[in-house]
Amino acid sequence: MRWIHRVCPVTGLKIDRQADLLIRAHGVAATVALLIGGIAAVLVLLTRWQAVHLLDAVWFYRILTVHGLTMLIFFILFFEMAVLYFTGPVLLNSRVPAPRVGWAAFALMVAGAVLAEWMMWTGRADVLLSSYVPLRAHPLYYLGIILFAVGALIVTFQFFASLVVAKRERTYEGSVPLITFGAATAAIIAVITLGHGAGIYIPTFLWSLGLMDVDPQIYRMVWWALGHASQQVNVAAMVSVWYLLGALTVGSVVLNEKISRTAFVLYILFISLASAHHLLVDPGFGPAWKVVNTSYFMYMAVLASMLHGFTVPAGVEVGQRLRGYTQGLFGWIRRAPWGDPGFSSLVLSVVVFGFVGGITGVTIGTEQINMIVHNTLRVPGHFHATVVSGTAMAFMGLTYYLIPLIFRKKIAFWPLAKWQPYLFAGGMLFFSIFMSFAGGFAVPRRHWDITFSNAPFDLQFSPAVDLVMGVMAVGGLVAAVGGALYILITVWSVFFGEPIREGELSNAHVRPAAGAGESATAVA
Amino acid sequence: MPMYGLPPGLVNPPRPLPEEDDGEELPWTGKLGPAPGTLILVLIFLAAFAVYYFANWKQLSFLWRIG
Repeated sequence: MRWIHRVCPVTGLKIDRQADLLIRAHGVAATVALLIGGIAAVLVLLTRWQAVHLLDAVWFYRILTVHGLTMLIFFILFFEMAVLYFTGPVLLNSRVPAPRVGWAAFALMVAGAVLAEWMMWTGRADVLLSSYVPLRAHPLYYLGIILFAVGALIVTFQFFASLVVAKRERTYEGSVPLITFGAATAAIIAVITLGHGAGIYIPTFLWSLGLMDVDPQIYRMVWWALGHASQQVNVAAMVSVWYLLGALTVGSVVLNEKISRTAFVLYILFISLASAHHLLVDPGFGPAWKVVNTSYFMYMAVLASMLHGFTVPAGVEVGQRLRGYTQGLFGWIRRAPWGDPGFSSLVLSVVVFGFVGGITGVTIGTEQINMIVHNTLRVPGHFHATVVSGTAMAFMGLTYYLIPLIFRKKIAFWPLAKWQPYLFAGGMLFFSIFMSFAGGFAVPRRHWDITFSNAPFDLQFSPAVDLVMGVMAVGGLVAAVGGALYILITVWSVFFGEPIREGELSNAHVRPAAGAGESATAVA
Repeated sequence: MPMYGLPPGLVNPPRPLPEEDDGEELPWTGKLGPAPGTLILVLIFLAAFAVYYFANWKQLSFLWRIG
C-alpha cells in the first residue's frame, strides 16, 4: 500500500495524510466544544455574580452541567486526541496504523458528545458533571458518555499502536522524543481514567434503566478515579505541550532527559491515587487511607509537577543563553519573543498553573484545610487555575503553531492573536484568585443563590464577599473575551484564512521533537 | 523578519545548536548553575508558596473561630 504523506517545510517531518486529517477533525470538534462550554461559562458566571443573577435555579444547574461536561471532558479530550495523533505518527515520522478505526473512534466520540449534549440541553440530565448517585439522569446521557469514552479509549490504543509501528518500521532513532514520551504517559493515565469511567458509568447506565443498584459511596470513589484522573491526563498532555512550545518558539533544550522522563513516570504511579483527596470528608474511608493517598502519594505527583516547573523554564533559559542571550540573570527572558502567542501562552500557562493552581492545590489537599474549604468556591478557584489557565492556555498556544503546520493557513487577525493569551490569562488570573478568596469566606460552590432568598434560615456572608465576587466576575468576563477571540481567530483562520504559499515558511528544519534532536547534555 | 499571520518560530526559527558536547563548562555558568535566572524564579515561587500557606491559615483561623 502506498503511504500518502507530505514533508513539512519547517520540521522536515513526514506528515501522514490520515494523521493530518484526524488532527484537523479532532481540533475542529474541540473548538466547537469550547464554544458551547464557553457560552455556558458566561451564563454560569453571570448567575453566580449576585448583582446580575441571570438564570433561574433550574437553568443554572442545567447550564452548569453543560459547562462542566463540555469543557472538562469533551473540549479537553478532543484536543488531547489531536495531541496524541501529533505526538505519535507525526513526531515519529510514521503513519496512523489503522485510519478507519481512527475515524470510527472519532465518530463514536462525536455521537457520544452529541447525545450527552442533547440530554443536558433538554433538561433530562440536570445532575452536574459528577452526577452523584442517586441523582438520576436519562439513560441516554450515561450512554453518550460511555460512547465518548470508548471512542477516546480506541484513540489511545491507536496511539500505542503507532509507537509499535514506528519502532518496527524504524522511523526514528534512539528513544522516543521526550514530547512523545510525555504524551504516552498521558495516554496511559487516560487508559486508567477511562477504565474507571467504564467501571462506573456502565453500572450507572444500568441503574438508570432500573436493572441494578449502585452504592453512592462506591460511586463517588470510582467516579473520582475518572473525574480527577481525567485532569491528570490534562497535566501530562499540558507538560508535553510545554516542552513542544519551548522547542518551537525559542529552541529550548532538555536540561536532563532522565529527570524529565522520571517526572512523567511519577505522574503514572501516583497521580491517580491522589484523586482520593475528593473523599477527604467522606465517612466511608479510614484516616490512614486518606492520609496515605492525599499526602504521600499526592506529594509525589506534586514533585513531578515541580520538576517540570523547573526544567521547562530552565530549558528555555539555557536555550536562549546558548544563542547568545547571556546578559545578567534575566536577559534571556527579556529578549524572548513575547509577541509570539505560542511563547506567551507557554509562559503564562507555566506561571498561572504553578503559582495559583499548584499552590492552592497542595494547600487544599491537606486534610484539615480540606475539611474547612470542601465544597466552597476555593475548589473551582484551584482547578480553573490548573485546567483553564494551565491546560487550555497551553493548548491555545499550540494551536497558533498547528494552524500553519497542519491546516497550512496563516493566523487571521494576527495583532489580536498576539494579545489574546495575555487577555485570557490575565482574566483567568483575577477570576481564579478571587474565586479562591470567596471560597475562603465560605461561599459555596455549585450554588445558585448565596443570598438564600425564600429560605427558612438566614446566612450572612462577610460584606467583603460582594466585592470579591464582583472582581471574580469581571476577571471571568475578560477571560471570556479572550476565549471568544481565540475561537474567532482559529475558526476564521481554518475556514476563511489565507493559505500559506510555497516558501513562506522557513525550511530550517526545526526539531520540535526535543529529546530526539537538541539536548542539553552539554550542560549537565 | 516576522511575517504577518505566522508565528516567529516558523518564519524565523531559533538557530540550531551544535550537536556534539565537547564537555566544556558553559561560559556563564557560575555558583547558581547553568540556569541562574530560573533558580531565582524558583526561589520566588517557594516564597510565594510559604506566604500563601501561612496567609491561608491566618485567614481561615479568623473566619472559622472555635468556641
